Amino acid sequence: MTSTDMTSQNQDELRLFRESVRTLFDRAGGVGRARKLRGAPQGWDAGLMRELAEAGAFGAAIPEKQGGLGMGLVAAGVVAEEAGRVLAPEPIVAMAGLTIGLLYRLCPAHAALSAALEGNSVLAPAWQERGPRGVAQTRACRYTDGKLDGRKAWVVGSRGASGYLVVAQGGAGPVLALVQKGAANLSIEERPQADGSVMAELAFNGTPAERLAEGAAVETALSEAVSDATALAAAELVGLSERAFEITLDYIKTREQFDKPIGAFQVLQHRAVDQRIMQEVAAAGIREALARMDQTNDPRQRARQASRAKARACVAARKITREAIQLHGAVGYTDEFDIGLYLNRALVLTAWLGDDVYHRRLWLEAREREEAA
Amino acid sequence: MTDWNQMSDAEFRKEVRRFFETEYPAELRNLSHRPKFAEIEHWHKKLHAKGWVAPAWPAEYGGMGLNAAKLLIFYEEQQRWGIVRGRDMGVQMVGPLIIKYGTQAQKDYWLPRILSCETIWCQGYSEPGAGSDLANLRTRAALEGDEFVINGQKIWTTMAHDSTHIFMLVRTDPNAPKKQQGISFLLARMDQPGITVRTIKTLAGEEEFCEVFLDNARTPRENLVGEMNKGWTMAKALLSFERIFIGSPNLAQNALIQLEGFARGRGAFEDPVFRDRFAQAALDVEDHAALYTRFADQLKRGETLGSDVSMLKIWVTETFQRITELMVEAAGPDGGTLGPLQVGNVGMDVLSSFYKARPTTIYGGANEIQRNILAKAVLELPD
Repeated sequence: MTSTDMTSQNQDELRLFRESVRTLFDRAGGVGRARKLRGAPQGWDAGLMRELAEAGAFGAAIPEKQGGLGMGLVAAGVVAEEAGRVLAPEPIVAMAGLTIGLLYRLCPAHAALSAALEGNSVLAPAWQERGPRGVAQTRACRYTDGKLDGRKAWVVGSRGASGYLVVAQGGAGPVLALVQKGAANLSIEERPQADGSVMAELAFNGTPAERLAEGAAVETALSEAVSDATALAAAELVGLSERAFEITLDYIKTREQFDKPIGAFQVLQHRAVDQRIMQEVAAAGIREALARMDQTNDPRQRARQASRAKARACVAARKITREAIQLHGAVGYTDEFDIGLYLNRALVLTAWLGDDVYHRRLWLEAREREEAA
Repeated sequence: MTDWNQMSDAEFRKEVRRFFETEYPAELRNLSHRPKFAEIEHWHKKLHAKGWVAPAWPAEYGGMGLNAAKLLIFYEEQQRWGIVRGRDMGVQMVGPLIIKYGTQAQKDYWLPRILSCETIWCQGYSEPGAGSDLANLRTRAALEGDEFVINGQKIWTTMAHDSTHIFMLVRTDPNAPKKQQGISFLLARMDQPGITVRTIKTLAGEEEFCEVFLDNARTPRENLVGEMNKGWTMAKALLSFERIFIGSPNLAQNALIQLEGFARGRGAFEDPVFRDRFAQAALDVEDHAALYTRFADQLKRGETLGSDVSMLKIWVTETFQRITELMVEAAGPDGGTLGPLQVGNVGMDVLSSFYKARPTTIYGGANEIQRNILAKAVLELPD
């Protein structure tokens, strides 16, 4: 079999996988769910989480022997894109990239991994800390003898989670610890987000925790999982901007002013074309980045591709969702029209795991390091 | 005769690269101007002896007979080594036209002469009143006995002052109901009393564009290619492959390498603002290349490309311009200085790159025209 055959076979598999995931989201209610679940106590649909899990959505990139599909990040990217198209409120990328990414690398035999892959429980990943000027560069949260002390910030998926996967500092290096939702001495502060979801800030004060892994391997696994999640968040943004553009294009074809569809005006046509080009470049760039991440084990090259992907996705989603509001005119500024939901979700996804300026900086530094080596 | 298409892509690339790297004259690498034929004649002779003048032509006409995949590799290698495009209008435009629409006699007479560069061609399409609106052309050709008599004016005719022949679109039926009708394709020799050429000096100070005045110029009736009044359709059919070629990442990639070398030498990478803009440009090039690969793969699978391939041209030419603008900025107070600027041990001509990038958004269908086409054909936006 030639490499071209292999590729087209993979392409066919990916196409089928995409169709099955899209069907699940559509049957569940499409983008209407994003509106319905804004601010809901649970925050997402646990039934859909299980259906997605059954389709292999959370373990698409995980090796088969660890309960995944073994189809690589390109397949996980397909799930993320489809989630982005319907603004799925489920913490899919946080689970697939971070939670499962950490568990399968560090403690594949633990029951938490199979529960996560089966969609039966969500563990919200808690790894970042707030510093005086944004993300802290050092880790102050401590793990000592089965207890945690300190704080964690920007925790996605806290509502409806059964527990937290916390990266803390232990006596012998970093520790991956599991904290139950109802644990003693755990306080949770919710910060409402533009898209109706919440990010949680956790405060531990001698909070009981189960140690899952310890040592340098935790640091390595964390940076790998962050690379995966970053690239998958980029894919989610690509799906989001793809759909936002489709909605906008339909709108300018039907909305009439001066006795014709506004899409007949050249100035809007050219703006629409520029959005479409941005979208195509983003989709091609991000899919290539995911494929390259599948082709190498070098963590630095993977991180560089992840930064490339997120940088591009943020630029494209920002341009497309903001232009979308302008092309909708006044109705674009109302809560009633779906297009605004896309802008709001893009704001949250852009900020999470680093925006384009941040990732361009990382990308260039990585490139310089590679060239110096 | 070698059937190149039987080779694996990697083997073929290696073979092409080896030939270029060993045979191409060093002094002609990455020329910043468009050379006259005399300057590159020795290289053309080598190519001709090798049988590599016309990579896209079928082997039976003296070409290499490459399929789309191999052709892309050939061009990629050509660009990678900084090989001059040469005086290839005959090979790129006239040959394919004659092969597709010409008579046997036209094929027998012209094709060998195009390959050997006994005839060197210029393209007479644009006119003062027919640029983006090419179908508006007014140059008239009328049959008188066995000859066409041609009157009118062509402009932006690249290297007309160094060409032996011109192929042109002319109006043969001024009364046709639509302006796209009544246009024919004619070949004519340049050295005749009815043709006057005047060069046009460009912003870069070079003289590669010309005006061509046709004042009772003559050409035999047998120099009509294809059917009378069907020239427009034929000209459009010729553009299909050019549409991906014109959107290839190479110009921008080379400019980025230059920018990086220049900016490192000038210390611009210490400036965080420059760093971010450089990273933006570099990622614009990298992600464009990913999209280019997607279209190239489509060609390699034997699919035809749709109008959406024009996206490549818009993106890459505008990126190319931004990169050369960054070079000018990185030059600081030297940004208006003509000629090579010293960086370490090498000289870099920043303004020459800047100028080279300007016309790319204008030629090959101005980017605004490309956007019109995409709006209609791809986004299906209404009139």
